[in-house]
Amino acid sequence: MKFTLFGVNIMLPSDVLAAWVFTLLLGAVVVFLVLKKKRLGLIWEYMVTTNHRKIGILYILFGIIYFFRAGLDALFIRTQLAFPNNDFWVFQGEKYNEVFTTHGTMMIFFVAMPLLLGLMNTVVPLQIGARDLAFPFLNAVGFWLFFFGSIFFNISFFLNMTPEIGWTGYAPLSTEQFTPGAGSDFYIFGLQISGLGTIFTALNLIVTIVRHRAPGMKMTRMPLFAWTSLITSFLILIAFTVLAIALYLLMFDRLFGAGFFSGTEGNPIYWQHLFWIFGHPEVYILALPAFGIFSDVISTFSRKRVFGYPIMVLSVALIGFLGFMVWAHHMFTVGLGPMANTFFAITTMLIAVPTGIKVFNWLFTMRLGVIRFTTPMLFSLGFIPSFVMGGVTGVMLSVSAADFQFHDTHFVVAHFHYVIIASTILGIFAGLYYWYPKITGYVLDEKLGRWHFWTFLIGFHLTFFPMHITGLEGMPRRVYTYDDSGGLAELNFMSTIGAFLMGVSMLFAIWNVYKTYKEGRKVGNDPWDGRTLEWSVASPAPEHTFDPMPVVEGIDSFWFAKSAGKKMPVTDQVRATPLEVQSILPFLIGSTLFFLSLGLTFSWYWLSILSAFILFTLLVVRSLKDEREDHYGRRK
Amino acid sequence: MNRAEQALFNDKKMGFFIYLGVEAIMFAVLFATYLIFTPASNGPQPSEIFEAKTVILSSFFLLSSSGTLWLGERALKSEKQNIFLTGLGITMLFAIIFLGFEVYEFASFVREGHGMGVNVFMSSYYVLVGLHAAHVAFGIGWMAVLFVQYFRQIPLTLFTEKLSIFSYYWHFVDVVWVFIIGIVYLPYLL
Amino acid sequence: MKRLLVMPFLLLLTGCNIKVLDSRSDTANDQAFLIIYSFSLMLIVVLVVSILFIRFVFKYRYTEERKDNIPPDVKGNKWLETAWVIGPLLLLAILAVPTIMMTYDQSPVLSTESEQEGTSVQVTAEQFNWTFEHANGKTEQNRLVIPEGGTILLHLKSEDVIHSFWVPRLGGKVDVMPDRELVYEIKNPQIGTYEGKCAEYCGLGHTNMKFEAEVVSADEYASYLNEK
Ligand code: HEM
Ligand SMILES: [Cu+2]
Ligand SMILES: [Cu+2]
Repeated sequence: MKFTLFGVNIMLPSDVLAAWVFTLLLGAVVVFLVLKKKRLGLIWEYMVTTNHRKIGILYILFGIIYFFRAGLDALFIRTQLAFPNNDFWVFQGEKYNEVFTTHGTMMIFFVAMPLLLGLMNTVVPLQIGARDLAFPFLNAVGFWLFFFGSIFFNISFFLNMTPEIGWTGYAPLSTEQFTPGAGSDFYIFGLQISGLGTIFTALNLIVTIVRHRAPGMKMTRMPLFAWTSLITSFLILIAFTVLAIALYLLMFDRLFGAGFFSGTEGNPIYWQHLFWIFGHPEVYILALPAFGIFSDVISTFSRKRVFGYPIMVLSVALIGFLGFMVWAHHMFTVGLGPMANTFFAITTMLIAVPTGIKVFNWLFTMRLGVIRFTTPMLFSLGFIPSFVMGGVTGVMLSVSAADFQFHDTHFVVAHFHYVIIASTILGIFAGLYYWYPKITGYVLDEKLGRWHFWTFLIGFHLTFFPMHITGLEGMPRRVYTYDDSGGLAELNFMSTIGAFLMGVSMLFAIWNVYKTYKEGRKVGNDPWDGRTLEWSVASPAPEHTFDPMPVVEGIDSFWFAKSAGKKMPVTDQVRATPLEVQSILPFLIGSTLFFLSLGLTFSWYWLSILSAFILFTLLVVRSLKDEREDHYGRRK
Repeated sequence: MNRAEQALFNDKKMGFFIYLGVEAIMFAVLFATYLIFTPASNGPQPSEIFEAKTVILSSFFLLSSSGTLWLGERALKSEKQNIFLTGLGITMLFAIIFLGFEVYEFASFVREGHGMGVNVFMSSYYVLVGLHAAHVAFGIGWMAVLFVQYFRQIPLTLFTEKLSIFSYYWHFVDVVWVFIIGIVYLPYLL
Repeated sequence: MKRLLVMPFLLLLTGCNIKVLDSRSDTANDQAFLIIYSFSLMLIVVLVVSILFIRFVFKYRYTEERKDNIPPDVKGNKWLETAWVIGPLLLLAILAVPTIMMTYDQSPVLSTESEQEGTSVQVTAEQFNWTFEHANGKTEQNRLVIPEGGTILLHLKSEDVIHSFWVPRLGGKVDVMPDRELVYEIKNPQIGTYEGKCAEYCGLGHTNMKFEAEVVSADEYASYLNEK
């Protein structure tokens, strides 16, 4: 659609127009509801909060919103691919490239990451007996950086400047010569801002877990979710930093005429190295916290402690370590030579060993237990076989000569959705159902939870199983159409049905939340007969927890105290609590980075300079308003 | 410092060291980038354009600023306020002089036509040394804020903390410079 | 709808002629072997896990009798845990041997490092076309003609972004880079016409960046080279 606004000719394709209309309508409804229910104060409360549970809620809220947006993209992809030589709406050629780029980027950075960080934020302090994260202010900064990064990425679509370089942003396609539009800049800055926030949050989690544990909560007594969060945070520090530099270099290529990745002297493979040194650990960043959630959930609902705790921790650490040694398995076909290919094939196979250990230990945690099929447990049970299927195709992909065939086909698409959805997404669902009472005080409906689970699981296998075969039938990834040969038509149609089934299953999830909101049953501290410390505090977790502070005497000490009919011993010898504040500064800091990037993207340098100036002013203000001033002894 | 203050300071110290670890990774990747792309196959070569004089002078100022900061910090501990102020002042002055040299060096390269996009050597040089210079500039601003804090009379323990955190930062920036000398300049000046 | 019902049977039937597995050259044959081989090994893993999973979930499920049962406090078991470290390691060792052999045999190398002899074809990719230039200078777009038997050496280079050369039935794939020339060998291709495509996302026209690969007899190849 074409129209003229203030003398400027604007071309809007119908999908963008639809998005505008939809967003404006939705925005109007939200504004109306907020005003009608007088909830402006609530919004302000969340904008200035530095409380870990509230920030966790914000992360989860936006993670879920983006899940629907990226899921809608997935449905567009699947609808376009439903039939051979199909022409669905606008999703051919350029639009298709945009839609898979947004889908992939959003799912990884703006869905899986915030949902996991949100759960870590809410749950980890409660699990280890900390009253908040070590740096509450920084925690808020981390969230708002994520928020503004994601918004920056998302507005590209509304301006009809969506990136179309895949979530991997391979150079030289992503350099200015081949994608001159602003799209790739939105990709660069969106990830850069939110990645910075992620680094801060990881740092915060590490200090919290290392220094803020309750008395007696030795590292060797922590629940596994806390352990995996700790190790994941270390992975984030390294991986996201490498990504930051990769994006930094790409930015200089695109905006300031450098030539790292293109031109006669540039080295496109260097981008791939940097990207995958980030990218492969990233998949473990997504998977490990989920492993932690499953460990806790399986143990709780089997009424047994985790089988082989030391080796469970060790295998997580080993996965994290090996995760940095395998990145070039994404590059078997770029000609690194047989030596490098062999090396990376072997290291990749080795990762299967610690992963296998975990699977068997989960199975043996259930052995002899009493398995209760609650919704969180169902998701964990669904995870085990599904994840093993993804894992074994991973081993198949590590066979480098076979990967020459698999690489960049739908076989790979099937593989990584099997691992990511089975671990991360099912893990997030398990975690959300499990900790929902701790976050909101209500427990979600079990019946709708079961519907959600079964439709999602069936839809998931129906979508992705056929893709193994279409890949072997010669269907590359990132193509918007295919010919009807060798069963491609039927297999793709199955995939599409499955995708819509997953879409339906998410409706059950919404319905469940709505129903619980309307007629939910308020629960006490410990609705699941839990084993770890978070179940000893009130639901929802109050602002000031662990008063008095419990003393931990072993793994699952809350449960053992409970089953012995005793209370946990308490103490008033407590280390200094992190200082919470109310401040709008984190929000403002995030927004200056947003405008700074906007200025760079469109070469409005005055805007960038102004934003940078405001940013530094805000930092000075922050330094002058340090909350510790009121808590420290005054100068004599 | 009482126990609660000490605990909070140790949190901060650990957090900041982790942050410096992040910075170290960033610079490590940029050093790797420099090593991969230098020397470039055409265009300006490092041995042609680097000047020993500017490198030596700027290094002198930056490296000795670490020393003056250390002296100032010690003076604060033994409550010699004036020596402290002079120490921090000289650190800031040296940092500004260093930054002046950097700006001069960059400007003269650009004037000779060796801009960012000339070849990959120049690109990797600018992104590395430029990022370091940005850190120095940030440090100068930080010192200015420290002066303000000092005269605002915030609690002394808090001020000492802020100063320690800054000094970790500043020494780190210096160490990076030592690596820059060793990796970026020295091989092409000898 | 009827087509959907016959689907499962179709799956079984197509198993035998899935393109990648139904190979038409020694190179693709080796790759197909590796795929089947690793698949079978991995099937063992899936079976073991599934059996344990189903057994445990069924046997230890919550029932009214076991409602108040407090399970034994098992911490772990050294022997079992060692078993599932060693077991997978053995399985992987069995997998690693042919992997390494074929990786050394098949990995694409820089053309400066290639020592193989055979029929050379210069492959040039650009957005969104393939150009094939033969030894005597004969050039054709989007149609690759090669002689059966023997070794085909493809020298691949891109004019712009990264592409990837792939003919599923003949083996593959290998990236086509703008800054370096790679050599990929196809050994002993059999006569036939196969579809080839670009497998690395390269921009707007990626989906349609296809070509035809025709393997012909040596005589036909000779006359193809000489025809104008
Ligand atoms: C919920 C249902 C989902 C469906 C139906 C779906 C479907 C798809 C399809 C069909 C593609 C291939 C597009 C192509 O290559 O042409 C794709 C790509 C991708 N998906 Fe999903 N997906 C889903 C969920 C997820 C989730 C949860 C994640 C990660 C957290 C994810 C991450 C990705 C990534 C990274 C890509 C690659 C994008 C690229 O090629 O740049 N997807 N998805
Ligand atoms: Cu990987
Ligand atoms: Cu392509």
